[in-house]
Amino acid sequence: MKLGKRWLPAHLLVWTYAVLLIVPLYYFLASAFKSNEEIFAHPFALPSSFGLGNFRTAYNSADLGTAVVNSALVTVLALALTLLLALPAAFALARSTSRLASAMEKIFSLGFLIPTFAALFPTFLLAAATGLFHTRLFMVFFLPATAMPLSVVILVQFMRTIPREMEEAARMDGASTYTVLRHIYIPMCLPGIATVLLLNFLTFWNEYLYSLIIIGPDPEQRTVQVALPTLKAITGTDYGVLTAGTVLTLVPVWVVYTVLQKRMQQALINGAVKA
Amino acid sequence: MTTLTSTPGGAAIREPAPPATTGRTGMPRQGGTILAVPALVWYAVFMIGPVIAIFVIAALHWPGMLQPVSFAGLGNVRTVLDDPVFWDAVRNTAVQLAVALPIMIVCAYMLGYYVAQKPPGHRVIRYLLFIPGLISTPAKAMVFYAALSPDGLANGALQSVGLGSLTDAWLASPSTALACLIALDVWSGIGFTAVLFAARLDSVPDDLGEAAQLDGAGHWRTMWRIHFPVIRDYVGVVTMLQFLWTLFGSAQHVLLLTQGGPGSSSTTLSFLVYQKAFIAADLGYSQTVGVILFLAGLVGLLTIRRAFRQNY
Repeated sequence: MKLGKRWLPAHLLVWTYAVLLIVPLYYFLASAFKSNEEIFAHPFALPSSFGLGNFRTAYNSADLGTAVVNSALVTVLALALTLLLALPAAFALARSTSRLASAMEKIFSLGFLIPTFAALFPTFLLAAATGLFHTRLFMVFFLPATAMPLSVVILVQFMRTIPREMEEAARMDGASTYTVLRHIYIPMCLPGIATVLLLNFLTFWNEYLYSLIIIGPDPEQRTVQVALPTLKAITGTDYGVLTAGTVLTLVPVWVVYTVLQKRMQQALINGAVKA
Repeated sequence: MTTLTSTPGGAAIREPAPPATTGRTGMPRQGGTILAVPALVWYAVFMIGPVIAIFVIAALHWPGMLQPVSFAGLGNVRTVLDDPVFWDAVRNTAVQLAVALPIMIVCAYMLGYYVAQKPPGHRVIRYLLFIPGLISTPAKAMVFYAALSPDGLANGALQSVGLGSLTDAWLASPSTALACLIALDVWSGIGFTAVLFAARLDSVPDDLGEAAQLDGAGHWRTMWRIHFPVIRDYVGVVTMLQFLWTLFGSAQHVLLLTQGGPGSSSTTLSFLVYQKAFIAADLGYSQTVGVILFLAGLVGLLTIRRAFRQNY
């Protein structure tokens, strides 16, 4: 379609929004290299030096090193558990035509309508009752449950596209159910698995409220998202340090996004709109 | 849960009803539905169970973690309804939804349409639009905290263009605190939602728009009269998601930026649930608001669904 002159207002509006997106981020990035005085005096100026002092202070005062390790640990283990649970479930639901299976599928897809946040307090009670309160382990158990509806539904859709004949042929050769899953279904729905992994990576890494309540403030256990806001108080609001700390926590996600841009967008689109 | 483990029954039902796929039902499927049970159990224990518990706790009088618990029936409902703070929260939440949701959906749809026409620079735009979707809630809150604090970006910008008299302690002023939270939602929501719309509009056949243009329809007309009805369903789904995120997710922004204050000027319903449970330790109250929030969510979803039902 040709875009005529009458699109000028549209171009202007869109780029204004783009600027609104970039300016705070630029301000943030620039501030990470400045002192408070510099930030207040020249909020938009480029930093005069690119010293890493703020980053070092942020890293040390909020124990960000430990926090990054904790976040990585929780994210990776929760991702593994999610796949371990969702793959066989999706496999079963995709192949079965029984009424029970479609009921189960419905239960999973209804899960989209349960906002995770609603059950914060009961989940806290559950953590206390299982003796896993103030541990990362509970988050590793809990996060996959929140990811289950989305993961199962997306994987089922990918698995449905695999022709039945593939399985029948393998069965003739005496393949077990496990073999069929392991050697036919999993390799053939790698794109679906990637989607689920990326999507959940983002939510698990960015999870805040539950981590705050369940894992709590212990610097040995807490994740980056919980450690980050503490910088506000610790530093008496040294904006340079605060922004430097925030930038540090964004790096992993930003790197993944830039490398896997296309795939990431696709994953989020699939995920957000229940495929 | 236990009723669901009776899987063999399920396998025995081999319905004559035509299955969706290429339907060769003759083959025995060993290890069928049972493989879905662990995931379901996991899901039930960590998600469905706690959600049901909200309703139970809402009926309890429970003034603190270590306090004795007694049955309150509907007593909590009365306490909640008599509390002016609750009504402030209702009002704030209503304002938040009424302002943020329409702006977000309309702007995001137009932006998504723009990007889908592949104008010059649309790749850059697409990349940028996505950034708020990647940033964690605390990071977003820190961006806004730094931008809106008394010495922050917004006041700095106002001062540098000679509008110093307009500066304000945005997050600490009763008249602007809620507006800041709404701005944060809109700022981060438009971009991400626009990408979703753009992706959906990409799959609308090009000739549909071209035909309309040949018939003399301008872009504005094509956008609202041709494309919009085609993806109406999808707009409905996205609106429902944004509705849920705004309704339930606001607790985190409020907690990080304003703590509900000053006074109760920026207390939203979901923050009230958090605040009563973890700060005021009035658990029955907290979960009663939780139930109300839940019902509000349900009513909202049904309303949105109705509003976007295909009607041609």
